[in-house]
Amino acid sequence: MHALWFIALRNLSQRKFRAFLTAIGVLLGVSVVLAIEVTNQTTIDSLRSVFDRAAGQASLLVIPSSQKDENLKQGLLPTVQSVKGVAVAAPSLRVNTLPADEAGDWQIALNLNGVAVGSFFLLYGIDPALDPQVRVYVLAEGRMPQAGRYEIVLPRKYAEEKKLRLGNGLILLTPQGTARFKITGLLANEGVALINDGVVGFAPLKVVQESFHLEGQLDEIAIRTSETISSKPALLEELKRSLQQRIGKNGDVVYPDSRGVVVSQMLATYQLGLSFFSIIAIFVGSFLVYNTFSMTVSERIREIGMLRAIGMSRKQVLSTVLIEAFVVAFFGSLAGIPLGILLARGLIRMTDAVITPSEEVFSLSVPIILEALAVGIGVALLSALQPAIRASRISPLEALRVRAKSDTKPAKAIWITGFCLIAFGYFVIYGMSWPEHWMFPVGSIAVLTIFLGATLTVTLAIQYLELISRRLAAKAYGSEGRLGSANVRRTVGRTTLTVASLMVSLTMIISINSVATSFKKDMGDWIDSALGGDLYVRSAVTMRQSFGNQLRSVPGVAVVTPTRVLEVRVAPESLPKDTLQNEFYLYAIDPDTFRQIADLQFTDAQADPEASWARLKRGNAVFISNVTAERYRLKTGDRITILTPRGKHSFTIAGVVLDFTGQRGVMYTSYQDLQTYFGESGADRFTLKVAPGYSVDQVAAEIESRYQKRRHISLQSTREFKQSVLNLVESAFRLFDVLGLIGILIGALGVVNTLTMNVIERQREIGALRSIGMTRLQVMRMILAEALAHGTMGGIYGLLFGFLIAQVMVLAMNLMIGYNLSYKFNWQPFLIGLVIAFLVAQMAAIGPAQRAARVNIIEAIKHE
Amino acid sequence: MSVETLKNEVLRTEHLTKIYRMGEVDVVALRDVNFAVRRGEFVAIMGASGSGKSTLLHLLGGLDTPTEGEVYLNGQALSKLSDDQITLLRRQKIGFIFQFYNLLPTLNAVENVALPLMIDGQHPSQYQAKVTELLHLVRLEGRETHRPDQLSGGQQQRVAIARAFVNQPEIVLADEPTGNLDSRSGKAILELLKKVCKEFRTTVVMVTHDPKAASYADRVVFLKDGQILNEIVGQNGRVPFEQIMDFMAALEA
Ligand SMILES: Nc1ncnc2c1ncn2[C@@H]1O[C@H](COP(=O)(O)OP(=O)(O)OP(=O)(O)O)[C@@H](O)[C@H]1O
Ligand SMILES: [Mg+2]
Repeated sequence: MHALWFIALRNLSQRKFRAFLTAIGVLLGVSVVLAIEVTNQTTIDSLRSVFDRAAGQASLLVIPSSQKDENLKQGLLPTVQSVKGVAVAAPSLRVNTLPADEAGDWQIALNLNGVAVGSFFLLYGIDPALDPQVRVYVLAEGRMPQAGRYEIVLPRKYAEEKKLRLGNGLILLTPQGTARFKITGLLANEGVALINDGVVGFAPLKVVQESFHLEGQLDEIAIRTSETISSKPALLEELKRSLQQRIGKNGDVVYPDSRGVVVSQMLATYQLGLSFFSIIAIFVGSFLVYNTFSMTVSERIREIGMLRAIGMSRKQVLSTVLIEAFVVAFFGSLAGIPLGILLARGLIRMTDAVITPSEEVFSLSVPIILEALAVGIGVALLSALQPAIRASRISPLEALRVRAKSDTKPAKAIWITGFCLIAFGYFVIYGMSWPEHWMFPVGSIAVLTIFLGATLTVTLAIQYLELISRRLAAKAYGSEGRLGSANVRRTVGRTTLTVASLMVSLTMIISINSVATSFKKDMGDWIDSALGGDLYVRSAVTMRQSFGNQLRSVPGVAVVTPTRVLEVRVAPESLPKDTLQNEFYLYAIDPDTFRQIADLQFTDAQADPEASWARLKRGNAVFISNVTAERYRLKTGDRITILTPRGKHSFTIAGVVLDFTGQRGVMYTSYQDLQTYFGESGADRFTLKVAPGYSVDQVAAEIESRYQKRRHISLQSTREFKQSVLNLVESAFRLFDVLGLIGILIGALGVVNTLTMNVIERQREIGALRSIGMTRLQVMRMILAEALAHGTMGGIYGLLFGFLIAQVMVLAMNLMIGYNLSYKFNWQPFLIGLVIAFLVAQMAAIGPAQRAARVNIIEAIKHE
Repeated sequence: MSVETLKNEVLRTEHLTKIYRMGEVDVVALRDVNFAVRRGEFVAIMGASGSGKSTLLHLLGGLDTPTEGEVYLNGQALSKLSDDQITLLRRQKIGFIFQFYNLLPTLNAVENVALPLMIDGQHPSQYQAKVTELLHLVRLEGRETHRPDQLSGGQQQRVAIARAFVNQPEIVLADEPTGNLDSRSGKAILELLKKVCKEFRTTVVMVTHDPKAASYADRVVFLKDGQILNEIVGQNGRVPFEQIMDFMAALEA
């Protein structure tokens, strides 16, 4: 045993550079896996923590009944408090408003994958004495507000942004106009200060109810129980049941987690994307590790043969190789952890632009580290095992006779298997339908199968693609270019892995870019048609409908159409079981004026727009969004029961329309139904169309000068709005770009690794070439040409599979999120991909090329 | 030295010394070697293992730089040239033949022979005929498209010889070209070398252990401990084998 370690360690110390390269391969693989896992977990945890902190130490919540659309009654509070086991029952009310000074430039809160463009100020009405017992208030300065007074506490960060100090007044918009709250305390950046991205304030319940006309109403009663109950799930469940019994239909008793679950659902898209990437990361990381190990072992076949000849047993040969692999992999993996953490920090910063920014959360856990280590060491050992077994099987004599092979032809079985795998993956995706919860795992495995299959076919493709790259190389680097390109044929396995890792990263970049372009295009089209108009007039508080007539009379305004947005709940019986979210946005529109400005796109295959609109106008009908239809399996002609203030009412679904506003269900109804069934009127937004001959700016200026002071309205042109939405989409996809870049880094490392190994292996040849008159520069060009060949092949494969995977991704988004995207070919991502392939390959080759140019001729040619 | 001999001189060394520094110890591989080769001459260098034969050959071909002294090729001092200039010189004026052939495994016989021209940026149409002719000369017709791993050692060495002569060099440097071959193939190679050398009027400097091989030369130079010990000049293009054996026996004694 001792001798084996000795040989293994001696081997490593004699080949420091090679060991180093191998370790680098492991290091990168491990760090990428770790970084993605940590980012993924952090995203989920930071969301959860925000909600946990908001819910604080409450063990149970009483929330409005899902059977009725109305708030909790304050009268319920004594009943709740009287239940045995309830230690504290803290009531609260939430309203959305805005500081008066922001009314002008406020933007609509459009929700996209859980991200808001511009946001409300969330005002909590609380009991200042009870609330700190259920939620975490950390006062940095000042004190809590006093019950009954117009006082407020704010997050310090928010106050700093608004340049507000202790004792200043904060003026908030209310239905009557404004209300002034004196700032008595500033909150440190934790606990409740993180709610609503920190755009939040806490004032006494009574004054909030008063100023918003919500006397006697509550949104939530947070319940803290005695320690004994809260720590025993069975007891807590019993308390929950008896509480529910006591309050009956006046409210629902739930565990505080449920809101977090809802939000986690909203982030499903992101998580899916990230999990997919962590699988890809393991895949590509394994590639890198396998690549380096199979190289180190197979080039030592001769040496192993010699060891066998002097009496080493097969098992001993195997052990030596594995010991070596283990040592390198262990240190490589260990070193990969800090890099992974660093990478994760960067990634999380990128996601912060998209997801709730909450510092402090960094989900680095022992299991994640162990997983990454296991991937590094495990894959290394596995990768070393295969060539080691191959080596130990060769008879000593044969091994000693092994000569530099000129060319290796791939086994037929390999590439045939490759084509089969591609076909199989394709069939799994397109030829079969899977239940919803199987889609993601099955889909990812199918995509990986396709990648694996593609990798195996590279062995064959090299024969043909090399002819293309040789022409390119000859153009770029002359005759030494031709030599360099031809060299990739010699080590088919190595070339294959290099091409494959380039392919995977390019595929990711190209497909994500393609999907993003398609998404932006569809989204842009939708905005153009569905939102229409030239100008939005909005207010944080509901405007009277008659204001529309006043707007209509402004010179240059051709058409005005009102929109009212309500949050409604759908009766659980209308939705599939286990649906957690039953809150929908209900948009009330006026079909006649709306259609003069905008148009809804019906997504049903047999949709008849005119019939659908006629049905909506007849009343007692809604349109639902395609996302809603997909998620809840509803279609035109079905009925949906909504909890209205006047009780449950069943509406006919008159059509399914395209919508991109997010994960939350969206419905449209007519103003007539709004009046009849919800007893509501008014408008949250007016959409204006400007008459020919007038400019949008001109009309906007006129409206501002007439009404802005009085009505706290905000104006925004459709163009601006569209841009802000598209920017949002852009930043949402940026995260994936970063992951694509990591992929490229790995691809580049693959090229560096392969070329370096090739250069080391071909020292002798390079020496011979130099001796017969090849200049250093020509040697460099030869190596660069070899990388050019890698780039060409990786590029061609990347383009091909990028095209394929882009369509799979579009399909996945449609199936899993319910979008209705269509893949549109756009040459840009492909061009970018190709440029990246060549650039990366060439830049990665510079180091190895210099190394080759420095080869000492005499050393190289001296001995066999 | 007359002007006539100077003109005929292709290669000449002056006080050539090579010292390898290994930590504290200096290994003197060559010590003050003064040596000249005439145009068209076939010179064999002999000596025991470690006597500095390869070192001398490397210095002559500009593969390595001397510690002291100078190598003149056609009157041109090699130490005055840059690495690229020496490389170009090797490409155009010098041919190398190694014990282990050093062919490119990816290329077939024709391509291996054409390699120096390819590197030089010449178009295949320019050299195709010349290469085919050379392969005929080394009697490899029918093996043109074979790769090194499909050729025997002797055949590979013949490819290497063809490669060394392809750019009609002034001088061919061979380091134990028969060292790895059986005596029959070795003989064939030597005869070939001699034939090609005379045909192109090329100067050949060959390092060898083998007195039989050395007997093909016009002149045999003996090295010992990095110094030239003696030389035997032959007649009619042969150095008598017995004379070489006698000298070696004297050396042993
Ligand atoms: N790179 C080097 N570093 C140190 N010493 C060296 C080096 N190369 C050669 N030597 C030494 O220089 C001396 C001459 O070596 P050289 O290779 O020229 O011998 P040779 O005559 O060609 O021997 P052989 O017949 O075995 O090939 C030897 O003593 C050798 O050990
Ligand atoms: Mg030697």
